[in-house]
Amino acid sequence: MKSFWPVRLASIVGVVALCFALDRAVLAAAPAQYRLLILASLFVILAVSLNLINGITGQFSIGHAAFAMIGAYTAGTLSKNPAFASMPHPQLLAVMTLLGALVAATFGFIVGLPSLRLRGDYLAIVTLGFGEIIRIVTNATESLGGSYGMPVAPKVQFLWWSLLLMVACIALCRNLLKTTHGLTFLAVREDEVAGLAMGVNVTMTKVVAFVIGAAFAGAAGAVLAHTEAFISPRTFPMEMSFIILTMVVLGGTGSITGSALAAVVLFAIPEYLRTLTDAQGKAYEMNAGLFMGILVAIMIAVAASKWIQTNVHEKGKKLGFYAGAWLAVIPLGFLFQTILHLSPTLKTLAFGIDILRYAVFAVVLIALMLLRPQGIFGHHEIGWHWFRKRPVPATEGGAA
Amino acid sequence: MMSGLPLWADLSFSVLPQQLVNGLLLGAIYALIALGYTMVYGVLRLINFAHGEVYMLGGYVALFISWQFGFTQDALMQNSTREGSLLLLGLMLIASMLICGFIGLLIEFLAYRPMRSQPRIAALITAIGVSLLLQYAGALFLPNSPPPSISEKVNPYRGEWRITLSQPSGESVAALAAAKATLDQRTREFDEQIKQERSKFDLSPAGVAIRDEKNRADQEFNKAQTVVNAQRSEIVLPRGQVVMFITSILLMLGLNLLVNFTKMGRAMRAASHDFDTASLMGINVNKVVTLTFFIGSALAGAGAMMNTTFLGTPMTTFSGVQPGVKAFVAAVLGGIGSIPGAVLGGLLMGMAETLVVWLGYGSYRDAVAFVILILVLLFRPGGIMGSAAVEKV
Repeated sequence: MKSFWPVRLASIVGVVALCFALDRAVLAAAPAQYRLLILASLFVILAVSLNLINGITGQFSIGHAAFAMIGAYTAGTLSKNPAFASMPHPQLLAVMTLLGALVAATFGFIVGLPSLRLRGDYLAIVTLGFGEIIRIVTNATESLGGSYGMPVAPKVQFLWWSLLLMVACIALCRNLLKTTHGLTFLAVREDEVAGLAMGVNVTMTKVVAFVIGAAFAGAAGAVLAHTEAFISPRTFPMEMSFIILTMVVLGGTGSITGSALAAVVLFAIPEYLRTLTDAQGKAYEMNAGLFMGILVAIMIAVAASKWIQTNVHEKGKKLGFYAGAWLAVIPLGFLFQTILHLSPTLKTLAFGIDILRYAVFAVVLIALMLLRPQGIFGHHEIGWHWFRKRPVPATEGGAA
Repeated sequence: MMSGLPLWADLSFSVLPQQLVNGLLLGAIYALIALGYTMVYGVLRLINFAHGEVYMLGGYVALFISWQFGFTQDALMQNSTREGSLLLLGLMLIASMLICGFIGLLIEFLAYRPMRSQPRIAALITAIGVSLLLQYAGALFLPNSPPPSISEKVNPYRGEWRITLSQPSGESVAALAAAKATLDQRTREFDEQIKQERSKFDLSPAGVAIRDEKNRADQEFNKAQTVVNAQRSEIVLPRGQVVMFITSILLMLGLNLLVNFTKMGRAMRAASHDFDTASLMGINVNKVVTLTFFIGSALAGAGAMMNTTFLGTPMTTFSGVQPGVKAFVAAVLGGIGSIPGAVLGGLLMGMAETLVVWLGYGSYRDAVAFVILILVLLFRPGGIMGSAAVEKV
């Protein structure tokens, strides 16, 4: 334990230096991706903070975009104030992030309160309702720009800041789980009643989870507002909450690194699809028949995998079966396409690949739930211990 | 935002009965959708998020059938005398119900059945996924921009019934007639004057005086009109919507008979009471679940067909979300799992929505549902007709 503080300090300095270095490197090498990287890191923050509520504490919340929206509108409104507007940009961004987090945390407290009485799907629908109420009220409020949205000045794009925030969010969640306070979060997830019997303050834990999660979402929202310089209720639709939820679920509910990784992947895929263009600069189009054909083929593969999961127990055989089922998707997809092309409308109908993304998200979500409801990484973390020989005892409650 | 609460005096009480009736008509549709939520929740303890999308698809089924029978814009342009018939309406209703029922079955079989042994949250996420898939994959394939709506000619029951609740008093009618006469007089004088003027916008002093007189008479007339309107209170009932309401009630009564007086209904009630014990008692619970999904989805399909045909709502693939959420709230409000509760909740939801519009908060009409939901869950989680029993762990 002697080397704790020096190591900690050195790693903090190292991380800060790394963030700045990355910022410079991106500016020099790929300035076009600068904004996208900021957005990606913001989505990581959103996913990891939702993971704290959903995965680690087990309180099912699906209104996370609302907290980001609150943070964004706080920043948008307050940065108009001359006292703030005259600040240099880095300080302004820092102050706005803090204020956004603070206001969102207040709302997180308010939403956390019903979670004391509700659980499971009822809580889910209340958080969804809360998100919708926030969106509808903003939509109807003239002073916030109503449905037209509101411009945010100044436009501040700092990758280093969002990276630092992201690291702070991940570090906070990771370190929290190593403390007594953090263990209560896991206790609430695993068994509320047993936790209560062991002296865990369940009420407190739930509310704290909501407050921390909301605060980080609010901070991300505030940075988002200044990055995009424009916000409207349409920036934070109900789907955004679902996307963040998909990130958490895909990565593994309870796995911080998993949800961070899933956030990057799920953010990158649609952005990548958007940049795909053919030689004429037009977006790539996908034939409707092929899309439906592959969709049906995937559904069959999912069903087959489900069957393999329950009925085949030999490991090698299982892997072979899986590979076969998923490799068959492509020829099957084309086969179904040929059949579907008997209909003349489907033969001519096509749409841009980038607009398929929500449909793809939905398929991912369903397939994941059917095959691996705990997410890709489950409760496990990605880390150096993967490469060590000796299995490290799972301190994050991974054994559960 | 809140430009002051509406003053008591500003509210127009003469339109209140009409608003309540509108709320009742809307509520009947919500009740039909809510029945699906409540039945599925009762048996499986699952919030079927995709139910709103099944409803949306029902609207499209009705639309396509009406197109098939020549009620597209183009066809109507060529043959403007085309009229719907009871037969067509019946066909649309039955097709919507059957196809929605089968879609519901399919969703249950493909997405929910494998999840039955999983934690409830996993099933809920699957339901969200199915809902998103139907919305967005539907948006790719179904016509949605501009949003199509069923031609009003499909509905043979056009026209309306009027129920007069109170007539304006003789005095105010006389005052209105007098004001009208004065206004006509002044308008004539002004028209005479205009002929002598250079232009409408450049009046001589005499012309200005006459114009002012005319404007004053106009104001007087409007005032008298307001008085008469405030005293006259009547309910306008479009015939199509009455048909819609009666059909909804018949469907609900049919459901009631099915659930309470048939063997299958008894099995459904048993499964809803205790799923595991019911299966031990020799009830084929899979069959019960299948039937539950079929009936619930068919009712949603019926609601969608009637909503799009008689209320003329345009359709997009996202138009199932709001009714779905409101109907879910209605089910919770009435007590989830309780069939009469869902009907009552639906009717109350519809009326709450129109009352909010009546109060002048039209832009908040979609938020009402959630406010009601949160209040119900906080103060009476069992709903109006549900049991107040707390879920045990």
